[in-house]
Amino acid sequence: MKLIIANTGSYPRAGDSPELQTLRKTIAAVDRGEMTSADLADAENEMTRRAIEEQARAGVELLTDGQIRWHDPISHLAGKLAGVKINGLLRFFDTNTYFRQPVLMGKPERKGPLVVEEYRFACNALGQIPTGREGTVRVAVKQVLTGPYTLAKLSLVEDPAMQPLEARAEAYAAALADEVKALGESGAEFIQVDEPAIIQVPNDWGVFTQALEPLIRARDAVRKAGRKLQLALYAYFHNPAPFYEKLAQLPVDALGLDFTYDATLVDVVAAAGSPRPLGLGLVDGRNTKLESPTEVARVVERLLPKIKGERAYLGPSSGLEYLPRDGAAAKLELLGKIRAAVNG
Amino acid sequence: MTMSREKLKKLGLELPLFPTTSVGSFPKPDYLVKARADFNKGRINREQLSELERKATAFWIEKQEELGVDVLVDGEQYRGDMVAYFAEIIPGFSKGGLVRSYGNRYYHKPIITGAVSWPGPITVEWWKYAQGLTKKPVKGMLTGPYTVMDWSFNEHYSDRRTTSLALADVIRKEVEALIAAGCKIIQIDEPALSVRPEELPIAIEAMHRVTDGMNAYFITHACYGAFEHIYPGMLEVPVDNFDLEMSNSDLNMLNLFRSQPFTKDISFGVVDVHTHVLEDAEKVNERVRQALTILPKERIWVDPDCGLKTRTVEEALAKLRACVEAARAFRN
Repeated sequence: MKLIIANTGSYPRAGDSPELQTLRKTIAAVDRGEMTSADLADAENEMTRRAIEEQARAGVELLTDGQIRWHDPISHLAGKLAGVKINGLLRFFDTNTYFRQPVLMGKPERKGPLVVEEYRFACNALGQIPTGREGTVRVAVKQVLTGPYTLAKLSLVEDPAMQPLEARAEAYAAALADEVKALGESGAEFIQVDEPAIIQVPNDWGVFTQALEPLIRARDAVRKAGRKLQLALYAYFHNPAPFYEKLAQLPVDALGLDFTYDATLVDVVAAAGSPRPLGLGLVDGRNTKLESPTEVARVVERLLPKIKGERAYLGPSSGLEYLPRDGAAAKLELLGKIRAAVNG
Repeated sequence: MTMSREKLKKLGLELPLFPTTSVGSFPKPDYLVKARADFNKGRINREQLSELERKATAFWIEKQEELGVDVLVDGEQYRGDMVAYFAEIIPGFSKGGLVRSYGNRYYHKPIITGAVSWPGPITVEWWKYAQGLTKKPVKGMLTGPYTVMDWSFNEHYSDRRTTSLALADVIRKEVEALIAAGCKIIQIDEPALSVRPEELPIAIEAMHRVTDGMNAYFITHACYGAFEHIYPGMLEVPVDNFDLEMSNSDLNMLNLFRSQPFTKDISFGVVDVHTHVLEDAEKVNERVRQALTILPKERIWVDPDCGLKTRTVEEALAKLRACVEAARAFRN
């Protein structure tokens, strides 16, 4: 059984020191008309490189671009689709952060790539970092997408045709399936689809699974063309225990779970087992308190024998943007300590 | 007469029908924004900053009186974030690093690193100052224990309930101090109330610790949440009045109140604070009319959806005026 250290998604865009304020200051200067969009792109690139470097330095083997360019998990994708207008702010689950809410003026349709360029940039940036681990450990980029059900659930609707949740989830799913295909053709080997909304509103299970199907088909098409592509589903910001057995049956390559809401989830997973690799969100991505590596390691040891698929991903319970920068870095380093303590 | 009207009367408060108030914060005048930045850079001292905070507080008291608001607030000219303000004063908290709120807005999210305790009066001097400027009642303004817990990192307490209750004990002492100073209406904001519906019992238990046996009229403010998941259970929060953001959600909450009766007084948000657009009188009046379809007039207070600090001074005044005019129209 291989235990891979993986980031779950976002990374803080700013820190307290002046060199970590680059993006924040540039955005403010662009807003004031004192800098250009080219300056903004440079700042985003610089902070993305830093985020990738910090993850690699901490020993993360499946890292992300930190979602540094994302205004929020919803409008970054929805805002690039035709038929969508971006509206005011709404609280994002229980995070005390806010997202800009999409309004469907028509059917949301993909006009072009959403994050393919971001993925390519991250791969190039990673390629330029001397990890000191070449030849021993493979470090790869994971691309994150917010899932069609969550996008649909958090959208407002003006177009009556998009009023049924099924219709808008289906439309978002078609757009995201095309993105999965494009990412696969660009060499992406691991895509994480985030669906935090489904464990909040379990009554929509049918809509959720239907919306996931086009993404699965896109993955299969990419694989048929001879490429390796894995699609993971991550659900966080709530306790997934009541829906675990249903989640475990989804035809994805890995299932990421947030273990920080309810201690009973460990018992549930240990009892039921998992037919596929799991993302073990055992380190709280939203609290600065550092967990005891040995305590978490004991939990990992309990779960690993129950997981089929020869691997599991050890990571934070959610993206790390909810922590201060130094807190996020400390959580990533903790992951390495936990793995060292497993069976040790 | 409703129970809460009787309570107000016993407290010596004779309020008109449709009492007008505001949720708490007002925008800071430009000179105060600059002074806060200067203070942070060490260019002016605490007393110089406080002088300007008092000046801005007096400005807002005067403006509320001019407009004819019934229950006043001090405008929170001396506060930044509603949780960080208390965390900077209450022992047990440390200042955290920068965390993003949204877009390009960041704040220092507090960290609970030790046992919290009441350091002595936190808001009482400001309340006394503001109340000394007017004969109308000024609300005491606090942030609730559940919200302070939810909006802080916690490295000390074992779980969220224990944290909330420890904070409740601190906030109760502040309530006692406000009442001892003469404050009769105290608002304890819980905007995080709906974020984890399964934790509503914790928020209720913590509020009991704060308000039980206390002789004051209590209001709590909640906003921008999924109230459908906590209604009608939220009515168990032991306060007299729920101050709710109604307009931003197109009065959707009225449907909930139709399904199960709303049993408390309401401070009914009749203007949206997140838009520069000023609603016309007809729109504001229609919102009050809608409130009257499900709530008796004795239970309705009129105010903006939320704190007005994100608006300009002129916009805030115009939105407050719209509240006052709507209330007057319905009294007549």
